Amino acid sequence: MKDSAIQKITEDLLPQKFGKQGKIWVAFLSVLCIIGFIAYCRQLSKGLVVTGMRDYVSWGIYISNFVFFVAISLVGSLITAVLRLTNAEWSTPLTRIAEIIAVSAITFASLIIIVDMGRPDRFYNLFIHGRLQSPIIWDVIVITTYFFISLLLLYFPLLPDLQILLRFKERTNKRLYWLYGFLGSFWKDTPQQIKISRRAVNILSITIIPVAFSIHTVTSWLFATTYRPGWDSTNFGAYFISGAFLVGAGAVIVAMYVFRSHYNLERYITYSHFDKMGKILVMLALLYLYFNVNEFLVPAFKMKKSEEDHLMGLFTGEFAPVFWFAICTAMIIPILILVNRKGRRPLPAFIAGLLVVVGSWFKRYLIVTPTLLHPFLPMHDVPESYKHYFPTWEEWAIAIGSLAGAMLIITIFARIFPIIPIHETITETEQHEKE
Amino acid sequence: MKKNSYKSILLAVLLLGMMATVAIAQDGDKKDLMLSTSYFNSNNQTQYLVAHTKCKIDGKFLPIPAIEVSFYITNDSAESHLLGKAVTNDKGEAPLMIPASAQSEWVKSAKQTFVVVSKANKVFDQTKASTDVVKAKLKIDTTADKKINVMVLELKDTGWTPVKGVDLKVAIKRMGGDLNVGETQTYTTDSTGSISADFKRDSLPGDLNGNLTLIAKVEDNDTYGNLTVEELVPWGAKMEYVSRFDRRTLFARRGHSPIWLELLAYSIIGVVWIILVYLVGQIRKIKTLGIE
Repeated sequence: MKDSAIQKITEDLLPQKFGKQGKIWVAFLSVLCIIGFIAYCRQLSKGLVVTGMRDYVSWGIYISNFVFFVAISLVGSLITAVLRLTNAEWSTPLTRIAEIIAVSAITFASLIIIVDMGRPDRFYNLFIHGRLQSPIIWDVIVITTYFFISLLLLYFPLLPDLQILLRFKERTNKRLYWLYGFLGSFWKDTPQQIKISRRAVNILSITIIPVAFSIHTVTSWLFATTYRPGWDSTNFGAYFISGAFLVGAGAVIVAMYVFRSHYNLERYITYSHFDKMGKILVMLALLYLYFNVNEFLVPAFKMKKSEEDHLMGLFTGEFAPVFWFAICTAMIIPILILVNRKGRRPLPAFIAGLLVVVGSWFKRYLIVTPTLLHPFLPMHDVPESYKHYFPTWEEWAIAIGSLAGAMLIITIFARIFPIIPIHETITETEQHEKE
Repeated sequence: MKKNSYKSILLAVLLLGMMATVAIAQDGDKKDLMLSTSYFNSNNQTQYLVAHTKCKIDGKFLPIPAIEVSFYITNDSAESHLLGKAVTNDKGEAPLMIPASAQSEWVKSAKQTFVVVSKANKVFDQTKASTDVVKAKLKIDTTADKKINVMVLELKDTGWTPVKGVDLKVAIKRMGGDLNVGETQTYTTDSTGSISADFKRDSLPGDLNGNLTLIAKVEDNDTYGNLTVEELVPWGAKMEYVSRFDRRTLFARRGHSPIWLELLAYSIIGVVWIILVYLVGQIRKIKTLGIE
């Protein structure tokens, strides 16, 4: 491969400083984060009473957000591990995007749980009083493990790129240069180092799959091990995992489009990538639709008295607009868009991905909240307001702030590190030329 | 003919007017409170009264809570005969223990009258009710072959006299209600004022010593009110309390999870984290190779 071609790839993929749009975007996300932080401070000083959560709905949009973050984090294992292990080389430009989405999402999944606890010191109690029999403890363990694996999976393939970054001292500032040196100055691209790194990535790719499955299965068990209408299901593990793969793939398509158009990466994230990811998304949407049919059609056919209120609330009642909006935007419309070849072009695929992400957030809300409003044994002598739930501005601000925070991490990461692996792209291009 | 038709119209108008007046008046009127009181004698020791308040609302008799009622001994509702005051609960019931201060009045006669008066409020007028009680008691005896004899005695001038023809129940006290000792639901006293029942509930769980509580009761009797008497009998199966507190179960406390769960969970966690530690070691190895 010619040096000029290598130079071109490197130049194209090096992290770029924020332009005007980038700065506005970062400022916008920062403002959302600050508003969220102010709302959290209010919650800390006044207590959880500032939220709309009461005796009936004790898990509101915080837990919906948590489930959403956990779901979206599963994309790391899909793109990085599954596609890597199946030798789907086309996915190379997407691996780092997927991994940073996974790391940022899992970070905020952990944080939002602490927010939901009210007093943050209660998190410490989870460790000193936690019981191994509780799915909550399994969730804490598996989230920590998944976070660590995702970090390693992000770090190992980054090592060769750090060496490349260190060669461009003039294009970086002192602090970043120090960071690159601290993280990867020891990488000399020796055959031994490459061998160790490849083996490590392979081990991680294998390890992350069961851990990723566990993280979402255990999260589903937080609900399914509780005897309540809508949660009392043996289908929940598979239902959650299929949904998580869907939203994760949707998020990757959105990120692909944004990075492609903003950093001019058309040569690296091509129509073919959108086409393939679009097909994957259709398959995942159909799979999730299948599980949704199972999840709702069977109980609706039986229509047990104790579950009737909950189900009718979703189909035709209080939650019907959100329910059908979620079903349409997260599954049906994306399928209709992407099943068509033209629909798998970047812009329509981006719209479909965005719809999947938005619809999936509301889907998580529907999994958490309506069930809590329909317990088997209704409470007595509670104020009428307790029987309805609408998040307060503090909850919205914190939830939106956390989403903005996750996007801020991805944005800043893309500013500091190459969002498409430079070294891997060069190596694969060389291999293709040899073939 | 014409004159008659005028009269008919006039009569109809008058009737309509009267009906409307009555209807308006009824709307403005207070509702009728149904007040009653019952006498209870438990174990020939504790005596108390319960006032009941009800009202017909939308065709249904519903209990009326938050009604203040005053209880009096004798037929006279003078302040000197006041036993006490109580407020009805959600079930429309207001209980009151008969205080020791009423003893002088109580011992005067074998018969006693209790009066209950509800306090007027915005919805109900003051209402009064009374109940007459003849003093009576129950006596329970058991034999070794698990036979139960209960006698109903009434206080007469000369002393306690057996009473014939009183219906009573003999049961065992359980957590969720009383369980009859046999197939017979109700017994009626004979000319000696007694009934005899056989205990047919073998192997019924009792307390730690196998004790059961027998209860004989006369309920809502027009003459004697509500009488109960209890006796402890060793006819039940001994309950052996097995503490699950320290056992390893899925619902146990921290550190007491089942061994299989611990083995499974810790093995999985151990294997995964050993791999991760190994991989961190590989980073160190890469670093060492780079520095060399």
